[in-house]
Amino acid sequence: MTGATSAQKTDVSQMDMSTPAIIAFDLCKLYRTEEGYVEVLKNVGFDVEKGGFTVICGASGAGKTTLLNIVGGIDRPTSGRIIVFGEDLGTRDEDFLATFRCNKIGFVFQSYNLVSTLTVAENVAFPMEWMRKPLKEVQERTRELLKLVGLDHRSGHFPHQLSGGEQQRVAFARALANDPPLLLVDEPTGNLDAKTSLRVIEIMRSFKNSAKTIVVATHDERILELADQKLVLEDGQLVDMNE
Amino acid sequence: MSETFFSINDLVRRKLQTGIVVIGLALCVASTLFLLLLGDKVGFHILSTTGNILTPSFSDVFFNFIVFVGFLTFLISAVIIAFMVHIMMAQRIRDIGLMKAAGCPNDLVFGYFMNELVIVAFAGCLLGVFFGLVMDYVSTNLLINANSQPQSGAVDFWLALLTFLIYFVLSLIIGAKPVLDTAKIEPSKALSPAYIYGLAKESDFKGSARAGFVAKIAIRSLFRRKSATSRVILCLTVVFLLVTVTVAGGIIADQTTGNWVERAVGRDLVLVGHRDMCDRYQLLLSRFYQPGTIPDFNYTDTRYLIPDDLLNQINLMPNVTIDQRLVLEGRIHEVWGYTLDPKLGTTQIGDSREGESLVVGFEPQKTFSKWIVDGEPLGNEESDEAMIGDSLAQKMFSVPLLQNLSYSGQTLKVVGVCLDPINNGNITYIPLRTLQSIAGINKPNILLVRIDPSADRLQVLNAIKSKIKASSPDFELSELNQELDKAVGFLANIWSMIMLLPSSVSAAASLSLIGYVVLSVDEQRQEFGILRAIGTKPNTIVKIVSTQNFLVLLSSYAVGLCLGIIVTLLILIPEPLVTDYTIMEIAGWLVAVFVLIFVVALFPVLRFAKKPILEMMRRP
Repeated sequence: MTGATSAQKTDVSQMDMSTPAIIAFDLCKLYRTEEGYVEVLKNVGFDVEKGGFTVICGASGAGKTTLLNIVGGIDRPTSGRIIVFGEDLGTRDEDFLATFRCNKIGFVFQSYNLVSTLTVAENVAFPMEWMRKPLKEVQERTRELLKLVGLDHRSGHFPHQLSGGEQQRVAFARALANDPPLLLVDEPTGNLDAKTSLRVIEIMRSFKNSAKTIVVATHDERILELADQKLVLEDGQLVDMNE
Repeated sequence: MSETFFSINDLVRRKLQTGIVVIGLALCVASTLFLLLLGDKVGFHILSTTGNILTPSFSDVFFNFIVFVGFLTFLISAVIIAFMVHIMMAQRIRDIGLMKAAGCPNDLVFGYFMNELVIVAFAGCLLGVFFGLVMDYVSTNLLINANSQPQSGAVDFWLALLTFLIYFVLSLIIGAKPVLDTAKIEPSKALSPAYIYGLAKESDFKGSARAGFVAKIAIRSLFRRKSATSRVILCLTVVFLLVTVTVAGGIIADQTTGNWVERAVGRDLVLVGHRDMCDRYQLLLSRFYQPGTIPDFNYTDTRYLIPDDLLNQINLMPNVTIDQRLVLEGRIHEVWGYTLDPKLGTTQIGDSREGESLVVGFEPQKTFSKWIVDGEPLGNEESDEAMIGDSLAQKMFSVPLLQNLSYSGQTLKVVGVCLDPINNGNITYIPLRTLQSIAGINKPNILLVRIDPSADRLQVLNAIKSKIKASSPDFELSELNQELDKAVGFLANIWSMIMLLPSSVSAAASLSLIGYVVLSVDEQRQEFGILRAIGTKPNTIVKIVSTQNFLVLLSSYAVGLCLGIIVTLLILIPEPLVTDYTIMEIAGWLVAVFVLIFVVALFPVLRFAKKPILEMMRRP
């Protein structure tokens, strides 16, 4: 873990580089089941510096995806605070969170989660359309991103016409569409074969040198090697790497 | 786990879907039962006892309507039941796949879901019978209150039982096939999302590439769910056909039949005659909507004849025109008629029937009545012609326009059959001079007076009253509008009862669309979750589903509306009266139904859009 937990609210536009991109303070997440409550996250607190490459690792069921969802504003903590670029996400309404996710966060899901009714190019373009960017800019950016992930020749295809690895690369392109300062990636190589995984890791490596803040939940040792910061979750709690 | 326990448990677990199917089925049953009970009271009953209330031409319009609407209601019910069961099974295919993958035999799977169907069909039909009886009770009481007359309160429970049984069996027959089909499918298929939602393969439809984001997803999803989309469009098309027929037809028929009555009786007329004669004339008018026998009356009593001086005085008044009538009652005989058949030669028509009829003499050139006439109206003041009411025509004549009638030994040619509520259509019109010479009475016994609308009506009425008072104290003046309004109001009440149908059918249609939306949201839930996770606002999800609903509704609405208008104007109502106001009224109602169904169908997506993103993204 780096830095002390500081939960004060900060204006995004006025933040300097020393302000952490993510501040998690005493996060808890409970799920209600028929047998009672299950505590998935227990008093998790950490900071992530701007431009850093952070990897969250841990066994299956340790709470990695839940933590990533909370950081991305997709889920809300039961208690505690999550501040991303100065915004206390737990206190904001759905409409704000939607715009915030679209602008500030690129999310790559484990199961790709492409919209099946849209083509590859449309899947990449639609987050930009929401931001009402000019059509020409959207088209150019889409082309550029598909070229970056090596799929410019498949732009007119539908997701079901692509392999798993190709879908994952489209998911990366979509996550980068609005050039978000924060990229959250959930198990990017979890569903891929070795060869395709290497290609995805190459893409991740190319991100490392950008100014983006990257948080990846993974088991993959090759991605762990890229990390500036490692957070290890064990049974919903962060453990000290030194231990 | 027993089959029954599993079924109940599964139905309870899916409260919304179960509720939609049960209430949808109940509304279908209720609509049919209500229609049958209404038909029993208004349509079929009248036809089988002609001469009770309403003339045959009027009850024919109701009859045609009720039969056609009944046919459509039954058709809609069958389509809705089939659609509901399809939706119900579509939502269970995955569970069936899981059960079969775990080793559950086909017959047990079939048993589980057939049990569910039996429970749902039984509950829906039972609830439908209850709704139908309530609708009938409400409409009957409305009619009683509106007319202040006793109506038969007895409900035909056999009809209710019959409706219940028909729909219960129909539901089981229609529902058994999808249940059987679903029970037979391979587990791998049942677990495939493509099969669950009736997709052969992912659609490559890109026709909306230039459309906006919302329209793009909405249109492509509609194409992807071809099977369910086409079913719901078919279902809603028939629903809108019925709604159009009942709303447009109901309004047009109400205005048309009301206009028929108004043209025959005359609007804003004043009746002048002996007090007893005026009462009698109004009683004759009320026979259109009030059943029962009326006491004997001596029309030929000389006390009832209009004195010459009174007739002359009123005739000379400014701003006043009069329609003199001699109202009598007599025995009418049917006279044989002949027709030329190219093969058989001359054929005799008629049966030598006879019966009592009201006989009215009037001046054809000066009358205020503008009847709807089949054939020709009377044109000559002294001709040997007669025009008969439709009840008399149906009761006593085979082909009236080819026949003659005999009254007091005088044979008169029947030139026309008119629609007239007086004496409920049991009437014979003869030129005044002809009737006077037959009856040997040279004066009228009723005067219908029309006052120029530009004149001060009250002042003219007072002037007439004073002339009556000075001339004959036993004579009086009475307004006919009250009686006319009662007759027109009676027709309006019956039409308004028929108009209850669109509301129940629209409710059933809304439920079908809600069922479709539930299926559609269920299928797209993960994608909606993705969209939300990436930054779409909940409103966008609502917009996507609204666009889909709008397209589905619009396509079925357009077809249903066109067919409905064609059927109404070309088949159901002869000589429809359509004014600008009628068109606006119909358009208003139809738009209201469209908006209502559209808004109600948004309920599932509004509920869904509020769900947390992770719950949306969870696979069903």
